[in-house]
Amino acid sequence: MNRKDFLSSVIPIVAVTSSVAGNKKDDPERSRKIPPYLKPGDIIGICCPAGFITLEDVQPCVNKMKEWGFEVKIGNTVGARDFTFAGTDEERAKDLQAMLDDDYINAIMFGRGGYGAVRIIDKIDFKKFIAKPKWLIGFSDITVFHSHLNKNFGIASIHSKMCNSFPSDWSKAEPSQIETIDSIRKCLTGEKMQYSATPNEKNRLGIAKGVLVGGNLSLIESLASSKSDIDTAGKILFLEEVDEYLYSIDRMFWYLKRAGKLDKLKALIICGFKVKPDDAGEEFGRTVYEIVNEVVKEFSYPVCFDFPVGHQKNNFALKCSVKHRLEVSNDVVNLKEV
Amino acid sequence: MTIPSYLQQGDTAGMLCPAGFMPLEKLQTAINVLQQWGYKIKKGKTLDGGSKNYFSATDEERLNDLQEMMDDKNIKAIFCARGGYGTGRIIEHLNFKKFKKYPKWIIGYSDITVLHSHLFSNYKIASLHAPMAAAFNDDEYKNEFVQSLRNALAGGKANYQCLTHPFNKTGTAKGILVGGNLSLLAHLVGTSSDINTKNKILFIEDVGEYIYNVDRMMYQLKRSGKLDKLAGLIVGKFTKMKDTERPFGQTAEEVIRDIVKEYDYPVCLNFPVSHTKENYALKVGVKYKLYVEHIVTLKES
Repeated sequence: MNRKDFLSSVIPIVAVTSSVAGNKKDDPERSRKIPPYLKPGDIIGICCPAGFITLEDVQPCVNKMKEWGFEVKIGNTVGARDFTFAGTDEERAKDLQAMLDDDYINAIMFGRGGYGAVRIIDKIDFKKFIAKPKWLIGFSDITVFHSHLNKNFGIASIHSKMCNSFPSDWSKAEPSQIETIDSIRKCLTGEKMQYSATPNEKNRLGIAKGVLVGGNLSLIESLASSKSDIDTAGKILFLEEVDEYLYSIDRMFWYLKRAGKLDKLKALIICGFKVKPDDAGEEFGRTVYEIVNEVVKEFSYPVCFDFPVGHQKNNFALKCSVKHRLEVSNDVVNLKEV
Repeated sequence: MTIPSYLQQGDTAGMLCPAGFMPLEKLQTAINVLQQWGYKIKKGKTLDGGSKNYFSATDEERLNDLQEMMDDKNIKAIFCARGGYGTGRIIEHLNFKKFKKYPKWIIGYSDITVLHSHLFSNYKIASLHAPMAAAFNDDEYKNEFVQSLRNALAGGKANYQCLTHPFNKTGTAKGILVGGNLSLLAHLVGTSSDINTKNKILFIEDVGEYIYNVDRMMYQLKRSGKLDKLAGLIVGKFTKMKDTERPFGQTAEEVIRDIVKEYDYPVCLNFPVSHTKENYALKVGVKYKLYVEHIVTLKES
């Protein structure tokens, strides 16, 4: 038998085997979209695509990640500063590009959010990253990356605390801080994630399965009609917000509704919303619960509130672009990676 | 484009609040002055409707008030007494069937940008971006900006001048004028009220925003393709800007200068359209000529 004949007789068998086994890990589509999980000795890069942070302030995070068994490479933008930014647009783009393209860096943790990701995202060449994806880790302004990656490449990323949230003195850290920071390690090493939230009488009950997308509400609105515009159809959407007036939160939810981002959801997860108090005489007269329930009242999917994610200590790491199952009942609120 | 009929002496105009609450005493001067100009004023139910919260009335009441005035053939124009927030909550429920047949001027700015953009994008009907009731108070109705509204209502053609600004980019532009409050324009991107800005003269203004947020909104306009094909850009005043604890390092004007640096069209800054008294009446959806030279001229063509 020559080589060509041998191959043609083998291929159908392989195809049958893989479809029968249905092993998701062997699914090339899936492994292309989920970056490889980290092993001891792998390298995590730290860089700042938006606001600046000092070298000193990333140290607690560096120490913790070393404790987890990883190596850390610190980018040029850590400690750099151009007013509120961690260096000029060019410097921030270059640092991130170098880390995306470096085969020896297995994940990138962002120093902090702030503002500035949108100023550099169109300068980034994702070609190498698409071929060899790695985990990008952060939230708030980093929502730009989560949305961009999901929309354009379907590549998973981690929505979590960043370097600026790691306490310098762990003996004084609250249990929720320790637990949520450890959830980053769990995400990175491939643990199947599972979360629970306190049941809330304002929740809308139900069970849903779908890919998780979301992040900071203001950022999601600011990506409207751009290349990074979030695609929510058939997905579980999670949202968090900080320091916005209620009227502005209402306006953003009406944007989501009017832009068709709410009508095809599988479920909606409302995370931490830190509301800026109304100015005197401008009382809005509606709570976040009321605002949300008003814009989703015509839909029937489950909705849960006060999910432990956001600009707060209790901020668990979530895998964006990964399929999850949400159960909202009177007794439990459970989100599980599937 | 459809240009509604200009007002005649004795015509009736409606006044209402489609968004935030406004006490009657603060809009009485505006009513008196509009009557002196020769118009009858019909007060909407949302003028001091006894609301106890942020809005002038419930969504349904605000919607009905506006809908009735839009559909009432005896009302020739609708003055929005103030902006605030709330037009976006009712816009999808408005029925424009009668309004399309019998268009009339809708007047206001700030939150009313939602109406201007919606009318322009969906029905190609012109509307008036102009001072609202509070601008009439304390004898200010005599100033040239409130008077520019009087002129516009009567069908006078605009011819505005302002001083040059170091960041201006000289040139001449011809095109339909669109625009309004930057936050609202950004907020409408991706909705059915979103504006197509190709070959248009775009004007923007804002108040009380963080500078980083102005930057973010300008990036939003840029990334959603709103800035690259303009005929010209009119930047109004960006007032009461706020900065973060760690300073942004640029003014709002510098932010805008940098964003449009790569484009060739004329740009002028500090044009008198704003949340201050310097706020000329501008007809959204009407053709203008913009000359940015040693002096800036905006002329209705």
